[in-house]
Amino acid sequence: MSGLLLSLLLAWQNPSPEILQHLKAGADALNQNRAAEAVNEFRVTTEAAPEMPAGFVGLGQALMQAGDYQGAIPPLKHALELNPDLPGAHQLVGFALLAAGYANEAIPHLEKVHAIDALGVAQLKVGKLAEATANLQAALEQRPGDVNTMYYLGRASGLLSRQIFELLRATDPESARVHQILGETYSVLHNVAAAEKEFTDALRLRPGTPGVHLELGELYSAGAQWNKAEAEFRAETKLQPGDPEAAFRLGNALLQQGKVKDARHELERASGLAPGMADTLYVLGRAASLDGDKAAAEKAWLAVLASDKESTLAGQAHFGLAGIYRERGDSAKADAEMKEFQRLQNLRR
Amino acid sequence: MLTALFVRRYAVLCAVCLAAFAAEPLFSPGAASGLVFHHENSPTPRKHLIETMGGGVALLDFNNDGLLDIFFVNSGHLGVDSKDSFDRANPRYWNRLFRQNNDGSFTDVTSASGLSSAGDSNYGMAVAAADYDNDGYTDLYVTSYGHNILYRNNRNGTFTDVTGRAGVGVLGWSVSAGFLDFDNDGNLDIFVTRYMEWDLNHSRSCGVFPKIYCSPSEYAGATSVLLRNRGDGTFEDVSASSGIAAKKGKALGVAFADYDDDGFPDIFVANDGMEQFLFHNNGNGSFTERALQAGVALTDDGKRISGMGADFRDYDNDGRPDIVVTDLARQNYAVYRNEGGGAFSYRSLQTGLAALSGVSSGWGMRLEDFDNDGWKDLFVAQGHVMDNVEQVDSSLHYLEPPMLAMNRAGRFERADLGAVEAVAGRGAAFGDLNNDGWTDIVMTVLGGKPQVFTSRRGSAHWLTLSLRGTRSNRDGFGARVLVNGQSQYATSAGSYVSASDKRVHFGLGPATTARVEIKWPSGVVQKMDDVRADQFLIVIEPERP
Repeated sequence: MSGLLLSLLLAWQNPSPEILQHLKAGADALNQNRAAEAVNEFRVTTEAAPEMPAGFVGLGQALMQAGDYQGAIPPLKHALELNPDLPGAHQLVGFALLAAGYANEAIPHLEKVHAIDALGVAQLKVGKLAEATANLQAALEQRPGDVNTMYYLGRASGLLSRQIFELLRATDPESARVHQILGETYSVLHNVAAAEKEFTDALRLRPGTPGVHLELGELYSAGAQWNKAEAEFRAETKLQPGDPEAAFRLGNALLQQGKVKDARHELERASGLAPGMADTLYVLGRAASLDGDKAAAEKAWLAVLASDKESTLAGQAHFGLAGIYRERGDSAKADAEMKEFQRLQNLRR
Repeated sequence: MLTALFVRRYAVLCAVCLAAFAAEPLFSPGAASGLVFHHENSPTPRKHLIETMGGGVALLDFNNDGLLDIFFVNSGHLGVDSKDSFDRANPRYWNRLFRQNNDGSFTDVTSASGLSSAGDSNYGMAVAAADYDNDGYTDLYVTSYGHNILYRNNRNGTFTDVTGRAGVGVLGWSVSAGFLDFDNDGNLDIFVTRYMEWDLNHSRSCGVFPKIYCSPSEYAGATSVLLRNRGDGTFEDVSASSGIAAKKGKALGVAFADYDDDGFPDIFVANDGMEQFLFHNNGNGSFTERALQAGVALTDDGKRISGMGADFRDYDNDGRPDIVVTDLARQNYAVYRNEGGGAFSYRSLQTGLAALSGVSSGWGMRLEDFDNDGWKDLFVAQGHVMDNVEQVDSSLHYLEPPMLAMNRAGRFERADLGAVEAVAGRGAAFGDLNNDGWTDIVMTVLGGKPQVFTSRRGSAHWLTLSLRGTRSNRDGFGARVLVNGQSQYATSAGSYVSASDKRVHFGLGPATTARVEIKWPSGVVQKMDDVRADQFLIVIEPERP
């Protein structure tokens, strides 16, 4: 922000040496985080040259640095009255207004300078959720990994989802989609009976809705009701034969019931639909191993390890390979795999 | 010349009449007359881990009248500020011995038998039962948080606490225990599992709302204990010299069998939340832990289980003892099939047991042929370890009905147990209470009354052997018994905190005769052909091979 201040200084035509000295002292104090000193220097400036916006901008900035956002707003606004075309002042007053809780008032200032992260937060606070989500998404793309932006984006999109669900519910309270959403909500809350009822109602109203059988199957899987899960996943694969997740889930449900050959078939299909998926490859290897096809198991687990060397799944693949090599009598390879398995286990302890 | 004495015969029940029961559940659940017992675990708001782990039970014929009696281990009073005193002198907290009467009812003979004193500083856990002094009478070894007690059977209906003289008062937190003759010297030794380094003064508190029992990962593991019977009424702690103490576990269950058929019993230990242990008997007084190499330490996908109960029996009738382990919900009960050559394969999925156990927590259990069809079925006492688990995960339950799974040629299918209550099942002991040839079950309930599951019987045939060792230990523990292609390892151990009928029972299906082969621990092999079905047969080990 000192760059902003310097540009303001340059824009001002004839500062007296005394004013210039106070402005420089204020800027230096700001740069060195001596907020109180900066406030004093800029206050002297604004009193000595009340027609000069730079002093007010500096004062506002110094007050913000001191944590007094409410106090920063008047000098910043006054600076903009003196010169409405100061982008830095718009940005500062936008931030100050947002921090002090005046999100609505902050928005035009932030829009003017395209401060999309702060603008997204302000829009979230005033309930403009779609705009907030878009701006925060764009901000995250500019600064990937910024935890604050991620937090606000998550919150905005969550609230947006809820808002849309409420709208949907108000529009058609007995629609299949409403039951599906309620099922998802109950499922998250571990209310299995209620979730089951809602998903079943959704399917009764619109039997061909993609995804509902999958969700119902996952609900049954969580409760280890594998035969019911199998039926739901099977229904989903009929509706969406090209969906690798449905095929994977069906394969896993079959495997859990010991239907090893059927499981292999579905898992191979899932792997064909989405090649290289480590989860699918690992479970495919497990099914092949339980089916006695150790060569296929080895191939699948080596494929897991080709793309994934450090995860829990990688550890499990090493463990499985150790068993295969031990059975083959290749103790050196078995020991090496077991060593890797144990190394990855220790990493997680 | 074979030595076999037919000393007791029971009427074979009318097969035609019994066929009428076929559509009904196999067991009739309920309580037996006179069996008035309430397990006292005294749960506290502090959630001490010992509160949720007890409930031992033994089926034994302590007075040799031919009827199984029942011994229950009580836990004790546990106040919020309890410090190693559990009010065990108060009759409410006594262990209890119930003598079975001729009419099938039971009489509490605790006081008369001298078993009322359990030690004030002992919070009771488990019981093991066997004739450790080879005098023909079954003795009792009771484990606790505190110290363990050996009660010698005085052969007159009473017992004497001989712990001090015998040198078996293992300290710490002992859980399951069992008798085995690990060195084949004819004297039964004792193996004691110890859970972990935990004591009341250092009991941690876990969770805020709700407060929950701490995970075992909060505590350091402990070593199990092997006590060698010197044959003179005293025992020697050989835990270190045998290699048993080389591994620290979190041991809850134990089962014995000779998995590699080398003539020496091996030990499987069910550990909670870590690798399981398989102590291979080297035949020279030492053991080597081989679970990982044998494939029984983890699941097939390298996951640890919370092992609680264990059994070491041949579920698939291939002649080799397999291993079944019960564990916590969200894991599957583990089945390890013995492939021969010292290797096992994980078979929970193929046997169907995974699909039956995913959201259940299992404790006491046994592979036993309940319908006498020639295949060992599975009964599991169930109930979650946390009494408030529903607050943490509403899809799990603290109280659960037990599970009965019938073995259909190696695949388990859930069977109807009838109108059974959901309870906090813990211990389970198995035996033929009414001597009808059909195995009954006594299951303990944490903080509750035990449940007795009496077999309704069927039409299949059976054979029950009582082994009498002469060169081997008198109970014949460790004998490998083959009957019509099925195999059993003679033992009263296994399950969780419990001891079962030491008689060796076989279902024969439609067969009316049996071919019996017994490989005694002494190495003597005894064979009998055309043994009539539907009888109790006492088999005495030949003096000479």
